[in-house]
Amino acid sequence: MVFRDDGHLSAEALTALARNEDNFDGLERLEIAEHLAFCDECLQRYAMALEGGTLLIPERSCRQTLPARIRSRAFHLAVSRYATAAAAVALALTILWGAEPANFPRPILPEDRPSVSQQLSGLTGEISDSLRETVSGLSNFFNDFRPSRFM
Amino acid sequence: MTKEQFSALVPQFERLVYTVCFQLVRDAAAAEDLTQDTFLSAYIHRDSMPQGYERQWLARIAANKAKDHLQSAWNRRTVLPGDQELPQGLAPPAEEVALRRSGAAEARTAIEHMKEPYRQVCRMCLLDERSPEEAALALGRPVKTVYTQLSRAKRLLREELERGGNHGIS
Repeated sequence: MVFRDDGHLSAEALTALARNEDNFDGLERLEIAEHLAFCDECLQRYAMALEGGTLLIPERSCRQTLPARIRSRAFHLAVSRYATAAAAVALALTILWGAEPANFPRPILPEDRPSVSQQLSGLTGEISDSLRETVSGLSNFFNDFRPSRFM
Repeated sequence: MTKEQFSALVPQFERLVYTVCFQLVRDAAAAEDLTQDTFLSAYIHRDSMPQGYERQWLARIAANKAKDHLQSAWNRRTVLPGDQELPQGLAPPAEEVALRRSGAAEARTAIEHMKEPYRQVCRMCLLDERSPEEAALALGRPVKTVYTQLSRAKRLLREELERGGNHGIS
């Protein structure tokens, strides 16, 4: 019996597993792995059962290949983060640009353009105003030098 | 935890991790790959390693890696021909059909004779009509594990009820 009635792994199953003396089938191994993946109590019992036995030695140690794999993973994580940040910035800019309507200068359509006579009359008016201001300014200038002011 | 501290863990616990992986998957090459996956995962999450419990923490990661490996292999092996023929949603799951056809009493008897870790899950979800989330809370199991066990249990029940044999039933 692999499991007790309370749902935990039986002592016999854990001992057989730890001593490599088991003959569990594929489904039973899967069930045991699923249980050890979440049950602290059974994992602790299994770890204690392993202490009483001989640990296996892998044919190929991971000490040689692990550092390169960690570096590769760190590189991929960094690239992924930068790509995510760049995408976030692009999205934020797109949202900002789309928030307010852009104020582009309205092109002057032919029907809106003033006629030549309108342009000339406008120009004449501007000239008249300038002359008036100039004369007024000169008059005020000379008024400052009238003898009556110094007497 | 610094990189140097982590580097010291690898030679210290490599045999333990490999042993856990091998004893679960029973494949030396796969166990070596899973050992490397275990330490890689441990390195990534090294800041959450509980001080003084490195052994248990690494064994837990190793068991998880072995579980994922075995689940993947099991799912590849147990997809029955014809399971993908009908579009989803047009036909009830075969397990539901078998349970309905067999009758409540027969299904109840079959469930009561199931072995763990399926009996309690089936009793709660199929007989007491509790949700997998409630069953997970009551049994102290992860919700995902309960869903997996329930799915597998239904398949075993279906086979049992249709064959009238003892596969999966004690």
